[in-house]
Amino acid sequence: MPEKANEPVKAGQDSLYAKREEIYPREVHGIFASWRVAMVFLTLGLYYILPWIHWGEGRQALLFDLPNRKFNIFMMTLWPQDLIYLSALLIISALGLFLFTSVGGRLWCGYACPQTVWTEVFLWIERKIEGGRPQRMKLSKSPWNFNKVMKKGGKHLVWIVFSLWTGFTFVGYFSPIRELAVDFINWDLGPWETFWIFFYAFATYGNAGWLREQVCIYMCPYARFQSVMFDDNTLIISYDEMRGNPRGARKRGKEKPADKGDCIDCGLCVQACPTGIDIRDGLQYQCIACAACIDACDDVMEKMDYPKGLIRYTTLNEVKGNGLHIFRPRVFIYSAILTGLVIAMAWSLVTRVPVGVDIARDRNILYREAPNGDLENVFTVKIMNQDDKAHSFVITIEGMPGAVLDLDESQTYVESGEIGDTLIRVRAAEDVIKERSTSITLIVTASDDEKLTDEEDTRFIAPADWFQK
Amino acid sequence: MSEKEEIPKIQRVVAVLWPSFLTSGVAMILFYWIFSPGEVFPELAASGVSNMAFYSATFLFLWLTTLISCLLSCYFLRPCSRCND
Repeated sequence: MPEKANEPVKAGQDSLYAKREEIYPREVHGIFASWRVAMVFLTLGLYYILPWIHWGEGRQALLFDLPNRKFNIFMMTLWPQDLIYLSALLIISALGLFLFTSVGGRLWCGYACPQTVWTEVFLWIERKIEGGRPQRMKLSKSPWNFNKVMKKGGKHLVWIVFSLWTGFTFVGYFSPIRELAVDFINWDLGPWETFWIFFYAFATYGNAGWLREQVCIYMCPYARFQSVMFDDNTLIISYDEMRGNPRGARKRGKEKPADKGDCIDCGLCVQACPTGIDIRDGLQYQCIACAACIDACDDVMEKMDYPKGLIRYTTLNEVKGNGLHIFRPRVFIYSAILTGLVIAMAWSLVTRVPVGVDIARDRNILYREAPNGDLENVFTVKIMNQDDKAHSFVITIEGMPGAVLDLDESQTYVESGEIGDTLIRVRAAEDVIKERSTSITLIVTASDDEKLTDEEDTRFIAPADWFQK
Repeated sequence: MSEKEEIPKIQRVVAVLWPSFLTSGVAMILFYWIFSPGEVFPELAASGVSNMAFYSATFLFLWLTTLISCLLSCYFLRPCSRCND
């Protein structure tokens, strides 16, 4: 670390061959730090606990069961055919992010992003083992000795164990976690499970331990385009230049010098910043809005007996003295679209019938004469059983009075998550056929649950001369 | 681009590894949304290769392919004046 510890790192501008300057964020205490810790417990708590929860007998509540191509989401089972819901969920999440960003700025980055919360845990481990910012900087500069090896080695060991647990949990969302745990203990994991546990562990260790703010700066797509969602009324973290400048050191407890602003230029806001910027230089895209600088500055302001909020959450308009305007057209539009989408998706999920029907006409024969002299059309009916248990399905016909179905089996048995094929022959006597092409509807219903039903339209074709006879 | 504004090495590495990772993930999901591994590789699936193996191998293959594509993009983005150096 250079002598000037307060100098911010000019991220993104260092030369190709310049070494990245290590950032040693100072620990801060305050309202926003408490919020962040609470969010770490909430988000990571959910992450590590959720896969262990069961919903019903032996059914993992949240399981993206890739081997069996189905997703358990609490009481629901979604199949590849339901990808539309996943897409809708992604669109809703994206719109939600737009809405929160336009109102609250980068709240996501500061409190909920996996990169932030895992980095927070890694930093906590680092602090517990290596000590506070000055001790960490001293340790990094010191020559390698027993103490340094023990501390650095210990830190990496704890990081690796924590990462492996993270990777294991991640795979547990895709492969039943309780079985995975037994396999893990017996070291009897499949090759790909092993690969992905180590892959995700490596990614966690690398991103939260080593790369840290560089992930936000170089890898995060959201950081690149979040500014388009910003306007003059978006909450940002801002240094009050009017109040703070000119900056300068002063003695504590004395009258404020007449030629100085409130900023005592202690540099704690810079030391606290996990991305190594100086918030006093204005809004920068490296700022993840974690508010560590607010906590650091408020602490100093309190000690100096100055009012808090020299660095604070504010909006450009408020800084200019125009007040806060949370409700504005952009917010209403995002909210309206979001509400509409959420209602549509909820409605669609609640009314979703987990059965699908697809009808394909026999490719070789458009129509043919049945042994009894009737006319016959042949179809293959595909029944998708998306319910989480097996059913037998009954097929009926509507739309052509007098037409009958001839089936090999009276019911079609389809396992949960499977697609069942059955061949059906639709027969109609000469006097029943009124047109060359008659619209018919095939209805598929589970024999044990009449709510499980779907229908599909198709056509009964007759030769041109048949019905004119 | 002046020498001072040179792109950091980590940004170059990320620009190759990361977009290829994201796009191959999306491509893998879309592909196996439409086709099940048993449909695409019936013989391999019948011989007991697990779906997990199909997904993983497909993802890694796609990642390698898109990674090469990203590498080539970076290569061709080098200022032409440097070819004479």
